[in-house]
Amino acid sequence: MAKSRAFDVRRQSGFVFIALSCFVLLYLPIILLVVYSFNAGTSIAVWEGFSWQWYVSAWQNEKVQDATILSLIIATCASLVATTAAVMAALATTRTTKFRGSGLVFAMINQPLMIPEIVTAVALLIFFAMIKVATGYTGLWYLIIAHSAFCIPFAYMPIRARLQGMDLNLEQAAADLYGRPWRVFRRVTLPQLWPGVLAGAMLAFVISLDDVVITEFVKSAGQDTLPTYMLGQLRRVITPEINAISTVLLAISVALVVAFYILSQSKKQ
Amino acid sequence: MIEISGLTKTFGSGDSAFTALKDVNVTIAENEFFTLLGPSGCGKTTLLRSIAGFVDPTSGSLTINGDDILSKAPYDRPVNTVFQNYALFPHLTVAENIGFGLEMQDRPKAEVQSVVKEMLELVQMAPMADRMTSQISGGQQQRVALARALAPKPKVLLLDEPLSALDFKLRKEMQIELKRLQHETGITFVFVTHDQEEALTMSDRIAVMNGGRILQIGGPREIYDHPAERFVADFIGDTNFVSADLKSVEGDAAEVHLPSGQAIEARSVAGGPTSGAVTIAVRPEHATLTAPGALLDGTLKNIVYFGTDTHYHIETEARSTFVIRQQNQPDSAEDHKVGEPVGISFNPGVAQVLRD
Repeated sequence: MAKSRAFDVRRQSGFVFIALSCFVLLYLPIILLVVYSFNAGTSIAVWEGFSWQWYVSAWQNEKVQDATILSLIIATCASLVATTAAVMAALATTRTTKFRGSGLVFAMINQPLMIPEIVTAVALLIFFAMIKVATGYTGLWYLIIAHSAFCIPFAYMPIRARLQGMDLNLEQAAADLYGRPWRVFRRVTLPQLWPGVLAGAMLAFVISLDDVVITEFVKSAGQDTLPTYMLGQLRRVITPEINAISTVLLAISVALVVAFYILSQSKKQ
Repeated sequence: MIEISGLTKTFGSGDSAFTALKDVNVTIAENEFFTLLGPSGCGKTTLLRSIAGFVDPTSGSLTINGDDILSKAPYDRPVNTVFQNYALFPHLTVAENIGFGLEMQDRPKAEVQSVVKEMLELVQMAPMADRMTSQISGGQQQRVALARALAPKPKVLLLDEPLSALDFKLRKEMQIELKRLQHETGITFVFVTHDQEEALTMSDRIAVMNGGRILQIGGPREIYDHPAERFVADFIGDTNFVSADLKSVEGDAAEVHLPSGQAIEARSVAGGPTSGAVTIAVRPEHATLTAPGALLDGTLKNIVYFGTDTHYHIETEARSTFVIRQQNQPDSAEDHKVGEPVGISFNPGVAQVLRD
């Protein structure tokens, strides 16, 4: 398609300067972080030569190991729960005739995107405290439930987009060929929806893995995910070990986001 | 077999309400090739989808072999649909697509396999059984869609403009193919199209629809030769409309006086006018060009040679254009000249009185 030449943003004065400074601001800190994770010294600001030592030290640090395992457990459980809920929500908001208040339902599903995270965190803190007092349970489920809740909109978006892009005729054709609703879902809708589901689950996983605010408020004593552990470390001694952990997290996130992008781009076969 | 009575469908409510079907009554017989013909938005697809179960009519009744099916879900109705865009399952192979209906009915594997094989042969797609549906051409997809809908041996096959996406040659082939399949399977076909030629060549009976109503139901010849309404006459083929004065009606026969003062016998229409000013319809090929002093006189305005026939455009005394179509003979010379006075003649019973 021919683009209008009347307004080409690249010809505006200062375009190159602004674009470059944005990229520098975005990426320079991250590049520095990655570079100093290989620092041989103990400083995060003075370069003393190349070394893998901080990766080794992070790998061998039991606290980091525990925090990583906890993060992975929570992210896995939360993304599973959130994705399941998101599939159901997406079906309910795309495969039913428009009902009164469907706009409100849509807003409510996406509530975590709009309400300040700190508010949700405080609310959950108070709510779970009451449950803790009543039941005495202090386990992992508070974190899993909290993470599931705020991950739902992230899983919901790609799934809903995929459902909306799907040919409704396919489901009608399946129903016409004697398929009952549940079997149509399993045999026709789900296989078509699969890339969306995977993309949603990945996004939810990354979001859960990354969360600090809500986790910090909800976690019981001694429970640390990787981000809250790192936050705790920053209050004490800062070594390039933090850089190393951050770099690994960055690598995982980038890998998942790239996978998400590829999946969400994949055409309907 | 299919009995539809008083079927009405209104979408929306209040000011934005739209009535897609208005009191539709029709009976379709066993093993009939029945066509719903009309322009887009005439309600033909809504009627088809009501039979399939994707549209819930506002009122009326719909039975198949005496069973009320309006209360049944699409998957409980003994009908299958060939969708306009085929709606083949992109994640399944050709064979899996064809076997889908039987699979959903939990038929034994061996039976599914043998029916799929039979269907693949019926539509000449056996070599493509293991292809994905995206790897076959449009015409082949059309065959697969047909086979998929026929495989469960439904009582009624619904076809929603299934040939509209095909190119001209392929469409002609598939028209013949569809007729053959209908003969071989003995299934009732309900076919939706906006293509009048397709309707005329394939159907046992045609229902012409417009504005949510069925205007006329009849065999192709009846619909073509004796259109009941102006819309039907205009939509199917080419027609000359002539104002006339209806003098008397006796059964089928009507006596009309043309503007020239000449009287001719025309065919009347059931429930039509019995006297007064009417419009009559005459097909271009049912009229002949004669010397002036005929039923209608006029001036020859244009001669268009089409190979198989020649069209004469005549401006009548009433200042309207009348077209006559005459078949060409080998090596005949054109012996009419533009601008000369001519007459228009047609046989008694050829003109059709239209209902208003």
